[in-house]
Amino acid sequence: MKKDNILFFGTILLATFGLVMIYSSSYVWAEFKFNNPYKYVISQGIFFIIGIFVMLIVSKINYNFYKEKSNLILLGCFILLVLVLIPGIGVVRNGSRSWFGLGPFGIQPSELSKIGLVIFVSKYLSRNDREKRVTKNFVLPILGMIILFFGLIMLEPDFGTGMIIVMSLIALIFITGTDVSIFVKLGLVGLLGIVGLIIVAPYRLKRITSFLNPWSDPLGSGFQIIQSLYAIGPGGLLGFGFLNSRQKHFYLPEPQTDFIFSIISEEFGFLGIFIVTTLFLLIFYRCIKISLETEDLFAKYLSFGLSFMLIFQTLLNLMVVVGIVPVTGVTLPFISYGGSSLLVSMTMIGIILNIGKK
Amino acid sequence: MFQSIQNGRIKMVFIIVVLLFFLIVFRVFYIQVIEYEKLNNLASSLWSRNLPVQADRGRILDRNGKVIAGNETTSSLVVIPNQIKNKEEVAKNISEILNADYEEILRHVSKSVSIERIHPEGRNLSYEIAEKINNLGYDGVYLLKETKRYYKYNDVLAHVIGYVGIDNQGLSGLELMYNDYLTGDDGSIKYYSDGKGNKLEMPEIYVSPRSGLDVNLTIDLDLQLVLESELNNAVSKYEAEGAIGIVMNPKTGEILAMSSRPTFEPGNYQNYSVETINRNLAIWKSFEPGSTFKILTLSAAINEGLVNVFDEHFYDSGSIKIAGATLHCWKHQGHGDQTFVQVVENSCNPGFVELGNRLGKEKLFEYIDRLGFGKKTGIDLNGEASGIIFNLDKVGPVEQATTSFGQGVSVTAIQQVAAVGGIVNGGNMYTPYIVSSISEPDTGITIEEFQPKLKSEGVVSKETSELVKYVLESVVANGSGHNAYIEGYRIGGKTGTAQKVGPDGRYMVGNYILSFIGFMPADDPELVIYIAIDGAHGVTQYGGTVSAPIASNVLKSAINLYDIKSDPEGIPKQYEWYETKYFTVPDVINMSKADALKQLAGFTIEYSGNGETVVETSPKAGERIKEGGVVKLMLN
Repeated sequence: MKKDNILFFGTILLATFGLVMIYSSSYVWAEFKFNNPYKYVISQGIFFIIGIFVMLIVSKINYNFYKEKSNLILLGCFILLVLVLIPGIGVVRNGSRSWFGLGPFGIQPSELSKIGLVIFVSKYLSRNDREKRVTKNFVLPILGMIILFFGLIMLEPDFGTGMIIVMSLIALIFITGTDVSIFVKLGLVGLLGIVGLIIVAPYRLKRITSFLNPWSDPLGSGFQIIQSLYAIGPGGLLGFGFLNSRQKHFYLPEPQTDFIFSIISEEFGFLGIFIVTTLFLLIFYRCIKISLETEDLFAKYLSFGLSFMLIFQTLLNLMVVVGIVPVTGVTLPFISYGGSSLLVSMTMIGIILNIGKK
Repeated sequence: MFQSIQNGRIKMVFIIVVLLFFLIVFRVFYIQVIEYEKLNNLASSLWSRNLPVQADRGRILDRNGKVIAGNETTSSLVVIPNQIKNKEEVAKNISEILNADYEEILRHVSKSVSIERIHPEGRNLSYEIAEKINNLGYDGVYLLKETKRYYKYNDVLAHVIGYVGIDNQGLSGLELMYNDYLTGDDGSIKYYSDGKGNKLEMPEIYVSPRSGLDVNLTIDLDLQLVLESELNNAVSKYEAEGAIGIVMNPKTGEILAMSSRPTFEPGNYQNYSVETINRNLAIWKSFEPGSTFKILTLSAAINEGLVNVFDEHFYDSGSIKIAGATLHCWKHQGHGDQTFVQVVENSCNPGFVELGNRLGKEKLFEYIDRLGFGKKTGIDLNGEASGIIFNLDKVGPVEQATTSFGQGVSVTAIQQVAAVGGIVNGGNMYTPYIVSSISEPDTGITIEEFQPKLKSEGVVSKETSELVKYVLESVVANGSGHNAYIEGYRIGGKTGTAQKVGPDGRYMVGNYILSFIGFMPADDPELVIYIAIDGAHGVTQYGGTVSAPIASNVLKSAINLYDIKSDPEGIPKQYEWYETKYFTVPDVINMSKADALKQLAGFTIEYSGNGETVVETSPKAGERIKEGGVVKLMLN
């Protein structure tokens, strides 16, 4: 079978558009901070080019290689996640000790863990398929491992990534066809956990409620969402046009990262948003199609897990930006600024492309 | 199928994801369409900084479009602290130019606000100062157009116009009453700025200010200026405490001129006492009118058919006894035997007591009420008084007697003008008014027009009106009002001399309000004039000596202004021995030279041409010239 060209070029198109939008949204801040308006776009551009090669190479690596090395990969991820917590090795950026500094760039082990965990869990689930009626034997061991990694990531802390990983792996368990009642129970546990977190630190409640009415605390927890709405709202149907965003002029903080979608909607309006979301859905549809068509269970789980991870992150980011869920600090795959995130996303597509060839 | 459970669940997840995408797209649509207006306004106010551009206040114009209250364009200093780099230097230079405190200016330019107006030091700057600041060329320092009220004629019509505060808000008079019309909509220069307050390279949006609407008055500025200067002269000549003057067109109620003393300059209202600036005496001051009020008694008696002014006689002994009290005529020895026309000419108090008796208190007070005394006239100005009239239950014979000659009642000048206007206008009484229309300043389009308001029809009958006009013309020609006489014109009127009531409630000795109310032309009045001089010094205390000449001067100017034709039909004046007499030139055209000479006895004759028949005279027949004046005859 041939490589899925729609998926491949769709990804390239989306990432290229992301690159353009990173320039548009970041040049004001880049000029201000580094006296170089191209600072961010050049950095991202380099990762993008590397990403294309990585995607092509990965699409040629037989996915069974990961199945064989899954334990090793998981161990590697675990070690990196522990190391990054150690001051001196891990670097703090934006309040999270989640980076390894490598010159001007950085690598986030939590990003790598996304792939590692999906590989490991896919292998585990496909191998123990016969056990799936017995929840205790089938779900609980893997759940324990997931919680361990989640805990490590929360120590950084990086709630957004932790959330994406947990949700994606639960979705992965869900599609194996296991008993649905376990998810209801998990939901209850999660709810209790949230209530517990709020009781411990009541300020979190404010963080959660502020998204319902951001104007209740316009300079504090509601600030980002208000600035985001100020970008989306005035954009209207067609937007202000490329480069004409106003919110990027020091109103929306770091507009090239989590809230880049606001700038897109400010400059290209509803029409732009419609096209971008359609492109995301198209990519997701192609991935799911591959997942449905493959008859190897590991490949099915792996491709689904990776594509769900990408689309869940996308949904989470968009829902934050438009004010449906509280701010979680998640970037928009392929578009937001962030080298390791882009590399990981493109690697994921590369793996899916390889599965699609079979 | 193999793996059908997994594939089913994958499809389920896919559908949920698609639904969530729909939710997001719908949410974006909601934000961009439903909440667009709200968010766009909020965001706009976040992005843009408005530099206000002050609108011109509407002007106040006279009936001929002459500007009485206009605007002067000045500059006002505004700073955007974020854009000012060297605050100390800017503050130092600006404070030097403005001659203001350095610390104060520094405080302004350092304030953490988006726009700061340097108030009050930087307001209403002259062109020179504005230019100096402009030449400094600092970023973040702006000079914005500001307009300041400008009263070209200083104190002219001050009480009617009122005054404005520093923000051009009307504080009194028409400026206050019509503030909503006069106030324009300020415009702005809107520019976009980034989150740090720096100007963005986006086009500025200029929203032009909309000027306020013009208020057009019934006032005739030329006549007003005459009235003002006459009152000024009178006040300085007689060292008077106050003065009031009103000219109204009785056919419409339009006020043509209105003034009072003491007055003030609206541009410097802070320098005057509150009483001075807030009391428009012409409508506010309520006082005992004196003999001008006799017009009412006369009109009532005639209208009720209770007197034949030509044939009935009245004997004035100098006083009259009413219910045990003796009321004196102003002339102590009495006027002797008089017709009632002479009673009015002489302003004989006992004669009016007689008229009052004939009317009875009910009728007398009915006319007082009908002519609008004891209540506001409804003129379109703030601060009008109602005056005080006896309660009918409290009126005994003495009160009735004094009321009939104008004592014991308290009325305003405008009430008298309105009442007399009604009587001489064939009984049709109009509500006095001063604002004729509101118009758009640039196009002149009328927004709102105020029509004359007929207050009451037939306050007296047409016949009564004719008779009263005749008698009052006679007062000016033959009686106490003769100082208002203008040769060749028909003027009616009545003088008044009212003793003022002191703070203790008793009449003050030697302190009078001297008044004259008149109208012209007497047969068909176009103007009613009222003049009152309060507390004149060093002059015979009669309205006829002080106020009548002032009225005469104002009317003379009105004759010139309105080109009123002379009318030889009037009652010829009775001359005192010291006065120059005027005679009408008779028609001698086509007469022989000899016959013409007979007709022209008393004039100096000059001839031109040869012949025996007169073909032309100069002045023409019907004109009036001084006794012994030259008449040129052209012979053929």
